[in-house]
Amino acid sequence: MPSAQAIVLPGDTIAPSALPTSANPNKPLTLGPGLRHIPPQTITTTIAGALSTDSKKNAAWIEYNSGRYTPSTSDLVIATVTNSVSEAYTCTLTPYTPTVTLPHLAFESATRKTRPQLANHALVYARVVSASQDTAPEITCIDPSTGKSEGLGPLKGGMLFPISMGMARRLLSGRKGRVQILEGLSERLAFEVAVGRNGMLWVDGGNVRTTLAVGRAVQEVDTEALGEKGQSKVVERVLRGL
Amino acid sequence: MAPQALLSPLHQADGSATYSANGYSVIGAVNGPVEVSRRDELPEEAAIEVIVRPAAGVGSPRERHLESLLRTTLQHIILTRAHPRTLIQLTLQITSLPDEESAGDGSALSYSSLPLLPPLLTTALLALLSASIPLSTTLAAALVAISATGKIKCAPTAAEMVRAGPGVSSLHVFAFSAGRALVLAESEGDFEFGAWEEACAVAEEACCERVAGMEVDGEAGNGQAFLRGVVEGKVGREMRWRMAV
Repeated sequence: MPSAQAIVLPGDTIAPSALPTSANPNKPLTLGPGLRHIPPQTITTTIAGALSTDSKKNAAWIEYNSGRYTPSTSDLVIATVTNSVSEAYTCTLTPYTPTVTLPHLAFESATRKTRPQLANHALVYARVVSASQDTAPEITCIDPSTGKSEGLGPLKGGMLFPISMGMARRLLSGRKGRVQILEGLSERLAFEVAVGRNGMLWVDGGNVRTTLAVGRAVQEVDTEALGEKGQSKVVERVLRGL
Repeated sequence: MAPQALLSPLHQADGSATYSANGYSVIGAVNGPVEVSRRDELPEEAAIEVIVRPAAGVGSPRERHLESLLRTTLQHIILTRAHPRTLIQLTLQITSLPDEESAGDGSALSYSSLPLLPPLLTTALLALLSASIPLSTTLAAALVAISATGKIKCAPTAAEMVRAGPGVSSLHVFAFSAGRALVLAESEGDFEFGAWEEACAVAEEACCERVAGMEVDGEAGNGQAFLRGVVEGKVGREMRWRMAV
């Protein structure tokens, strides 16, 4: 369980007592986003946010909810196809950033003849395979170990809603994110969602009314940072309005 | 009036902030890291672009001068190597000036660009914090005026400067990092070196947290404590769902 919050500014030195202590002395300390190690012993912050630690994983990171998405390996993202070159689609994750590549054969059971034909502006749910600051990121729609799609692939129909990156993390982190609005709404509505770490939420409710209701409800939970009680109120109001 | 700040008022920018103090209001927006034009691309670090837009009219050499001062100062605190071959774009729009500024009565206010520098720097830093751009440290800036009689006044208001008229012999802007390192020193007018050192000490007091004192959150005039308060408010709002039942 992550422990309590301490708010930090860039350049603050993290005291050794604030860092997690692992039972296993051989387990190295893992530094997440927003922390950097200045040899030999100093650990300082680089962004403003709340310091979170996890003693089981021996990890520390800064929890923040703003800024632009930067791809990192094994993130789930919703990409927009912008172009198709000889062997790959070029896609964008966020506006005005360098494009990412999606090979034509990185779809389930795709061959040269049967690959999916994606038009410009088509949406794809994909996983980041490689991302480093020195190369163009690559994304894929198959699990490399099984060759199956595992839910990834082209997104047809539906609508895209921008959400904050913190909300995307909450939605993807399961019980820890304390989001139960989708479960609440699914008692009466049938819909499909895909959450991209790049701050995108794709909703397909079969009809416009359901799609908008679900998307707007999640956006409201995001902007108001609602807890569980607030979410059940939103669910009640949305279901009454339909 | 105590300085006021608001983080992330703009939705389309990656990070933004408004800041007002002493009659100056500035709104700033940060976009980055974004794609950089081939001409400005740096192979191993991020390019920083600063745009200052005046309250009225189009930009003049005065704004270009402020832009270059801001860019060189921010270059030292942004960890540009974390995002090579990208651009961090910072736009600062001055939204209001003190009423005395436009009077044009020969006081230091009407010809100097230095009084604008502290609010611009503070807004720039708040916008960078809001955009979660990696920084090596925070900074705080202060304006110091030395009168002809040798009196040192920190953060003089526009009314005080007009009343003093030509009695202000020099203006200084100092910016300090959180670690009390001097990162910017700009001076204008006639002054002795001893007076400059005194002014520097006064500005350091205004910018940095007291070393000895444990808690300084009550002090409104302290630059670093002010930043911390603003960020605490923002993070607290975002983390509400953790505390809510």
